[in-house]
Amino acid sequence: MSDANLKTELKTAPVEPLLPIELLLIKTSLGIGVILLIILGVISRAIG
Amino acid sequence: MTDAPELRQRLTEDWLAVLIGLVIFSLALVSLTGSDLLGWIVATSVWSDPAKALGTVSKSYVDLGGPLALVATYVALTAVLSAGAKVLRLPVGKFALAFTAVFWIAYASWFVGSNAYLAVVTPADLKKFGIDWSLKLTNEGGFIVALLVGLVIANAFPRFAEWLKEAIRPELYIKIAIVILGGFIAVAVVGKLNLASSLLLRGLAAIVEAYLIYWAVVYYVARKWFGFSREWSVPLASGISICGVAAAIATGGAIRSRPAVPVLVSSLVVIFAVVEVLILPFVAEHFLSHEPLVAAAWIGLAVKTDGAAVAAGGITESLLLAKNAAEGINYQPGWILGTTATVKVFIDVFIGIWAFILGYIWTNHIDKREEAERAKVGEIWQRFPKFILGFLLTFVIGLLLALTAPTDLAPKVTVAIGEANSLRVLFFLLTFFSIGVLSNFKKLWEDGLAKLAAVYVLSLFGFVIWVGLVISWLFFSGVTPPLVG
Repeated sequence: MSDANLKTELKTAPVEPLLPIELLLIKTSLGIGVILLIILGVISRAIG
Repeated sequence: MTDAPELRQRLTEDWLAVLIGLVIFSLALVSLTGSDLLGWIVATSVWSDPAKALGTVSKSYVDLGGPLALVATYVALTAVLSAGAKVLRLPVGKFALAFTAVFWIAYASWFVGSNAYLAVVTPADLKKFGIDWSLKLTNEGGFIVALLVGLVIANAFPRFAEWLKEAIRPELYIKIAIVILGGFIAVAVVGKLNLASSLLLRGLAAIVEAYLIYWAVVYYVARKWFGFSREWSVPLASGISICGVAAAIATGGAIRSRPAVPVLVSSLVVIFAVVEVLILPFVAEHFLSHEPLVAAAWIGLAVKTDGAAVAAGGITESLLLAKNAAEGINYQPGWILGTTATVKVFIDVFIGIWAFILGYIWTNHIDKREEAERAKVGEIWQRFPKFILGFLLTFVIGLLLALTAPTDLAPKVTVAIGEANSLRVLFFLLTFFSIGVLSNFKKLWEDGLAKLAAVYVLSLFGFVIWVGLVISWLFFSGVTPPLVG
């Protein structure tokens, strides 16, 4: 597919609703990410 | 026995970078036996008299003279990279011609950047060169000049940029540079292994941030606020969050998007990386000069694509070392650049795993495929950036040599790896120029791409940069590089 077609597609493509599994991926990523950052933060403070 | 065509098929740009980087590193180490094989490489000093600018990296080749060293460096790089082009099945003649133009334009930029009016930082050096002002860009300001020249070519002379394209390979150049950088970092951290391991632990935060925080938010923004399809949102989120071009292409492939989609996203990634390289190191110099490792981690997290990020780390190191030196604080070189590179390499390591996770979810739950087309564990290795292995190898060899060398040999290890590092600087230079040539800003105004660019601007400048700064501050503040001596 050419660049021109892709750009037209970007302008005209219908909206795909967010599926539950996409929302699950987003929420799980953020949740695990925040928890891991807290754990790493505590460890790095502990070791100075 | 493996026949030549099969070998060529296996030898991707990634492996080629490992091979070239290791050859350079090995040649440098030969000097430990007394034979200096890389001392003839050109070195460029800050100059006010152009006749005194060029020299050789080793005094044992001083009789060669600067101009001949420059020609020898050009011939050697052209020969090695043309052989690489042959292995990659590129048209060797066209590559060599284009590389000739790339090398000389890039080196001319470096030469201009080394002029005292651009590079000098300290009052003592202003006096030494008999000048009363300078832009204080340090001698690595040549990177910025090369980037700007590349941008001019891309935007004002697009036909010339097209002619150069065979040799415009920023990913190859930076991967070779990163392989060499492993040894340089090893020599820099030896004797301070506690600090280095503490930095490695803090670097883990970067992985969490890029994959689990940035990606989720950017994907949500692209899908919910801008209405992009899943096929576009995955490479876009990966390009903005993780590591630019490589991540966009790996994750796009993993969800079975059409190949042209991540490629188009990648063209945007490069353009925005250029904007960041031109701005962020100077912002870091202004606001984070007393927290050099916060600045280093921030650059690694904020600037996308390996080339732009590690190169921006190099500029940031020069600017921060010079600014602190002017205040009487002399930090050891290598730590700021090393931190940026480590953050970037850490993030790169997980590209394959993240692509597999996305591929598994997509091919099993979202865009269900036949068994044969579903994501397989083997794809993790397939998408793993192989140049990281070269980086690790030179790091381990450099560290072992520096730790175990007898007292009389230890300084020679530093000198040997320093010679390889002078080529690393040249590969950085080629990367900067190449990134500039790839950045045609007119693309931003084209129909369709403007909407992609809007997601990029909103995510990068409204979220990624600031969260990266906060996390870098939380994990790296108060930790500073060792002082010289």
